[in-house]
Amino acid sequence: MTITTTESPAAAPRRGMNILFSLTLIGLLLALWIALGIGTASFWTPLNISNLLRQGAMTAILAVGQTFVIITAGIDLSVGAIVGFSTVILAWLLQTGVPLWIAIAITLLMGVAIGAFHGFGIVRMGLPPFIITLATLTSLRGVGLLITNGSTISITNEAFTNFARADFLGIPSLFWMVILVAVPAYVFLHLSRWGRYLFAVGSNSEAARLSGVSVNRTIYMAYILSATCAAFVGVLLASRIGIGNATQAEGWELQAIASSVIGGTSLFGAVGSVHGPLIGAFILATINNGANLLNVNSFWQRIITGLLIIVIVYFDQLRRRGSR
Amino acid sequence: MSRLEEIAHRHDEASALLTEGSRVPPGAPILELKGLQKNYGYVQALKPATITFLAGEIHAIVGENGAGKSTLIKLLTGVITRTAGEVLWCGHPVALSTPNEAIARGINAVHQEVVLCPHLTVAANLFLGDEVDRYGLMRKKQMERMAQSVLDDLGFHLPAGAPLGSLTIGQQQLVATARAAMRGTQFLIFDEPTAYLTRQESAQLFKLIRRLQSEGVTIVYISHRMEEVFELADRVSVLRDGTHVGTRDIGDTNENELIALMINRSIEQIYHKEDIPIGAPILEAKGLSGPGFEDISLTVRAGEIVGLYGLIGAGRSEFALGLYGRQPLSAGEIHWMGRKVEIRNEREAMDLGIALAPESRRDQGLCLNLPIGLNINLPVFGRLSRGPVIGRAEEAANADRQIRDLAIKTPSRRVPASSMSGGNQQKIVIAKWLSHGAKLFIFDEPTVGVDVGTKAEIYRLFAKLLKEGAGIILISSYLPEVYELADRLHVFRGGRLVGSHDFHAATHEDVLGEAIGV
Repeated sequence: MTITTTESPAAAPRRGMNILFSLTLIGLLLALWIALGIGTASFWTPLNISNLLRQGAMTAILAVGQTFVIITAGIDLSVGAIVGFSTVILAWLLQTGVPLWIAIAITLLMGVAIGAFHGFGIVRMGLPPFIITLATLTSLRGVGLLITNGSTISITNEAFTNFARADFLGIPSLFWMVILVAVPAYVFLHLSRWGRYLFAVGSNSEAARLSGVSVNRTIYMAYILSATCAAFVGVLLASRIGIGNATQAEGWELQAIASSVIGGTSLFGAVGSVHGPLIGAFILATINNGANLLNVNSFWQRIITGLLIIVIVYFDQLRRRGSR
Repeated sequence: MSRLEEIAHRHDEASALLTEGSRVPPGAPILELKGLQKNYGYVQALKPATITFLAGEIHAIVGENGAGKSTLIKLLTGVITRTAGEVLWCGHPVALSTPNEAIARGINAVHQEVVLCPHLTVAANLFLGDEVDRYGLMRKKQMERMAQSVLDDLGFHLPAGAPLGSLTIGQQQLVATARAAMRGTQFLIFDEPTAYLTRQESAQLFKLIRRLQSEGVTIVYISHRMEEVFELADRVSVLRDGTHVGTRDIGDTNENELIALMINRSIEQIYHKEDIPIGAPILEAKGLSGPGFEDISLTVRAGEIVGLYGLIGAGRSEFALGLYGRQPLSAGEIHWMGRKVEIRNEREAMDLGIALAPESRRDQGLCLNLPIGLNINLPVFGRLSRGPVIGRAEEAANADRQIRDLAIKTPSRRVPASSMSGGNQQKIVIAKWLSHGAKLFIFDEPTVGVDVGTKAEIYRLFAKLLKEGAGIILISSYLPEVYELADRLHVFRGGRLVGSHDFHAATHEDVLGEAIGV
């Protein structure tokens, strides 16, 4: 009396598809590098490569934090503003004579606090993530401008400003920072249960809740991680440009979201990885870098980025539909 | 000519081509279903049904939840397309493949849940998709005047300019009916329209239904409520398990015959009840109240299945969620193993030893686009982790063991849950709780959309859990299931417990009567 149920045959193991997608992204990145290597004389120079790695590093870290949030089916629009605000806080603390390490720690803690505020707004006040982070975006810029009175604060700590320009084992220190963030992020997202909970909440928060997952705690965690990554990038940016300025990092939230989406994260939640956004960030950085080398009008870079998002997400949609 | 007829007339002209020559004399067949059938994969939602609707009659359709009533409505209104069979409209075969086709032919439905725009005004809703305009600009004032005269004409006393959302559900229902009436409808289906209405609103609705009938409209009236069927209908058709089991003239039948027809008399042999000794109480609920249920007292003992029967919306699932800490309780006490406990959230319920396989797999049970393995392990990741990191081998072993034990038919634990059939999805939900372990399992509608073979497997699993000393709360809208499996059967109606019976102590008719409130 058993009725056999056949399952859809197209249900190939997911992991295979993910590897294929990652390889496609890496292939795209390599193709860009080869094309630029042939097309320009200056692309494969050590100076340009380390420049490229520095450019991509900060977007990459932002994108990883952003990905945690997007996996829960949320969005964090405030990361660019947090970066700018963090440069101000750090420069201001250094100006008032706070020791460097304590200033950095305070800046990062401020990131934690902003993320916790986002969590509070979403969980307790019931605000949509888009709204609460949009509100933070605009008000943080305002607070930063108030503190600096609209100007910039210079950072005089030489050791600190040299850090962003330094290399370690021939690789820019900023790129090492990507690795410093990416390895624990990978362990967190792919190997720990908290990572699994992010996916579960993004897929179906009610099912997760009824399975004993603390949905509220998971949402707090995602936004705290994203804001803390942004504060960390703020520290790196302050080191790179040597000033604190609230208007810095304008539009970086969109860069981070774009990197994440190019890297295969689904804005509907529950789909994403750590390596995807990293590759996505460096694809964007390469396009910008290449456009500069080829003397393409910088306005075109924005257009190309937009088209690339459409093309990659469209192919990803096709892939998903195919595997249904 | 009344305002209503005048407006309806406008539509008649527009749809004259489609329905030309379709004026059927009263009493002649207007809509004939011949072997109409609908399958969802392996599930036969509607087995070949042959029903004739006569022009100008009020034709009631009754049946238990899941008997195929909504499938029938969806087929007639073009929301879904049939698997096989023929539909004759005014003697001509028709496809009814899209909602627009059904509407153009004059077939409309008023749903239990109002599907209109709550933020627009009553008038705007009445004219939605059919606005009166001149030179492309809407004639708002004129529409409002027309709407008001229609409402007055119908005796509704509703303001045409008020936002629809500011009205009660019952009033919204009346607006939805008026909307259908304005559309030159010849065939109007009501899907449990009085579920949310007050007595007064119901009376208004009945008046409108009779009036439409007197204007020659054919009415199909779907309801659980016997007294309404006998008050309104000329004829009544009964559905059971997707089968059309008979049509009667209302004068030739009575409530008992209809209830007997609604219940499956040939109890399938899939119910597997073993003689398991019943032990000490696991859970005692004393006067529990919360959102959607009031003053519920019941006891679950080790080795016992406690059945909760009632119609959808009777408060059974709400009670389960309250017990599980998902919804706050407003009154009452829970005693667990003889000790008074507070259950403030789901985690506390789980830690006590309560497991809940919720009503809706799609909305509450599964993370559909995530792998089967992750779904199964979701409640137990804490146990599978060493420090912050999940033991990959343990994770895989636990998922694979559950997949094997429950015979979940999947090529791999990495396949997303969405690619599974209903029966296998239900097994994933159950697997989740088997790997977590519990003393009290709450199964809410565990066999909805599940094939017969899997049903039998699930029932055997119940017996296994009982033998291990667990207790089970089985919530079902399918009477034979709870009737044949439950050691003690509680009947819910309107959020209250209205009857409690030992195994086979009451007849099907008694139980269904209590649930419907005859």
